[in-house]
Amino acid sequence: MADHVVECTSVSRTYQDDAVPVHALRGVDFTLKAGEFVSLAGPSGSGKSTLLHVIGGLDRPDEGAVAVGGEDVTALGDSELADLRLRKIGFVFQAYNLIPVLSARENVEFIMQLQGVDAAERGERALGTLDSLGMRDLADRRPGEMSGGQQQRVAIARAIVTNPVLLLADEPSANLDTGTTGELLELLKRLNKERGVTILTATHDPMVMGYATRQVHLRDGEIVANKAA
Amino acid sequence: MPLKLLLQLSWRNLWRHRRRNGILVLAIALAVTGVMLMNTLMRGMAAGMREAVIDNLTGHVKVIHPGYMADPGIGRGFEPQEGWEQALADVPVAGWAQRVRVPAVIMSERETRGVQLVGVDPAQEAISFLGSLSVEGEALSGAEDRRIVIGATLAEQLETSVGRRLVIMTQGADGLNREAGYRIAGTYDTDSNALERVFVFTGAQTVARLLDSPAVTEVSLRLESGDDIPLALAELNAVFEDLDVKAWQDLEPQVASMVLVADFSLYIMYFVIMGALVFGLVNALATAVMERVRELGMLRALGMRPRSVVAQVVVESTLVMTAGVVAGLALAIGCFVPFADGIDLSAFSETMELMGVRNTFTPRLEVADMVTVFLLSLVLGVLASLYPARRAVKVTPLDAMRR
Repeated sequence: MADHVVECTSVSRTYQDDAVPVHALRGVDFTLKAGEFVSLAGPSGSGKSTLLHVIGGLDRPDEGAVAVGGEDVTALGDSELADLRLRKIGFVFQAYNLIPVLSARENVEFIMQLQGVDAAERGERALGTLDSLGMRDLADRRPGEMSGGQQQRVAIARAIVTNPVLLLADEPSANLDTGTTGELLELLKRLNKERGVTILTATHDPMVMGYATRQVHLRDGEIVANKAA
Repeated sequence: MPLKLLLQLSWRNLWRHRRRNGILVLAIALAVTGVMLMNTLMRGMAAGMREAVIDNLTGHVKVIHPGYMADPGIGRGFEPQEGWEQALADVPVAGWAQRVRVPAVIMSERETRGVQLVGVDPAQEAISFLGSLSVEGEALSGAEDRRIVIGATLAEQLETSVGRRLVIMTQGADGLNREAGYRIAGTYDTDSNALERVFVFTGAQTVARLLDSPAVTEVSLRLESGDDIPLALAELNAVFEDLDVKAWQDLEPQVASMVLVADFSLYIMYFVIMGALVFGLVNALATAVMERVRELGMLRALGMRPRSVVAQVVVESTLVMTAGVVAGLALAIGCFVPFADGIDLSAFSETMELMGVRNTFTPRLEVADMVTVFLLSLVLGVLASLYPARRAVKVTPLDAMRR
């Protein structure tokens, strides 16, 4: 479908854990439309993070097909996957994962630098995005000089500054207190509503699930519920 | 990945681990300093040996009779045609000398020694050590001088001194023994006792009369530069068709071999010392990279290609190597400068003589060697980083970020 940002068809993924096969995903069918804010929910080991990683091109399914923005992810090599992530996907990780030697502004500029955006436009877009997230005053600070919540905001700024097709957030609230989590979720909601950013999160935090427009529950590698909020 | 970003990340990452990288830079610098200083000694020794051979009557190029090396004597002499030197118009020649050199026996009232009797024209001998001899008494005044100049060591052996007479016996052109008495004009003193023991000098015409032959046994040429030897050989071969025209390397092959070894010693020393260092370097880089494997995985997750990650590690390693090499070269220059004018080794003159080196040893620091060490180090830095870098990208971004 043309308006599907993500299409997963019969996706299976099995890990070997000390020679014991672990079926992380069992024939999952999943679609995500443009402008949706979907939460993958479920207990640990349910397969939500694996599905997120497969969609993000960080992991490869053993079986099935995954298309992001109409592009078949499973057919791509390592470098092509890197290019896909660079062009189409914004990531927000549990541990922020900012580059420690770069300032907030430089971290936000990083992906644009990889994309070859010129310096003037980069600086303008980075500062503009940081400003929209209330982080402009901290633009020159390095990650080690910021709180967890501030770092996560910078990570979000980095993820959205290039206007990706899809924003993937893996346990975005895991290292944040309740207050900061609330601010973060308001931010994601605003991005989704105002800028139309398509968001997919993997979480077991009910607060995060509550902000999503659709919740997809997984258990033992299968989708057991798929409901609009 | 843009080069500017690559350099920016690499440069800042270096400063994250100042202590470790500082130790690496120091180790590389000390190794490079060691290599360069040993090389300056080897280069100095090689240059000393080469200069000594060229000075000690050999010159850059010499013309001799084909049988002279096996049977030195006036029977292997020759008479250069008039104006032969005109053929060298295109060769930068510093000077040339025609000599008669024959084996002889020299006798004082008390002792007898075997020597080389050399008939010279002092005016031509600016090209050899004769031109700068330190003589006690008087030097030879010209090719007609009937006196002799002997080495100070030989004078001691013969228990004689300036002003006294010695008898010299040798074989004439007719094969019969000739002998004559000569007064000692002076005794010469050089860095080499061997020279002082062997060479007895007198006027070329004096030797011609003794041997009853106008022939010379050698024509020695000193060139402006050793690089011109092939050109000189070609020109002289055309003039002296029936004679041997030999470069100093052919006349003194042992010294030539030692000079060649000295030329290669840079590479030998470099690969021995830096080869040992590179294991430590690879280990340190591997540790540094694996400590950052999570971060490198994150960069790949964000869209950095594997080869860009490899490039980043390589650039970081190369920067460390460059800093170490530059510091090492600077340190080597600093250590070299105080000794640039030479080191007095007269206390070890016997040993140095055995090595063919003069009492004043002048180390040589050559720019070409510094450039070679710099470039080799860059290559080594790149090679040393490839293994750790490839290890880093073998881990998938997901596995890396789970660590």
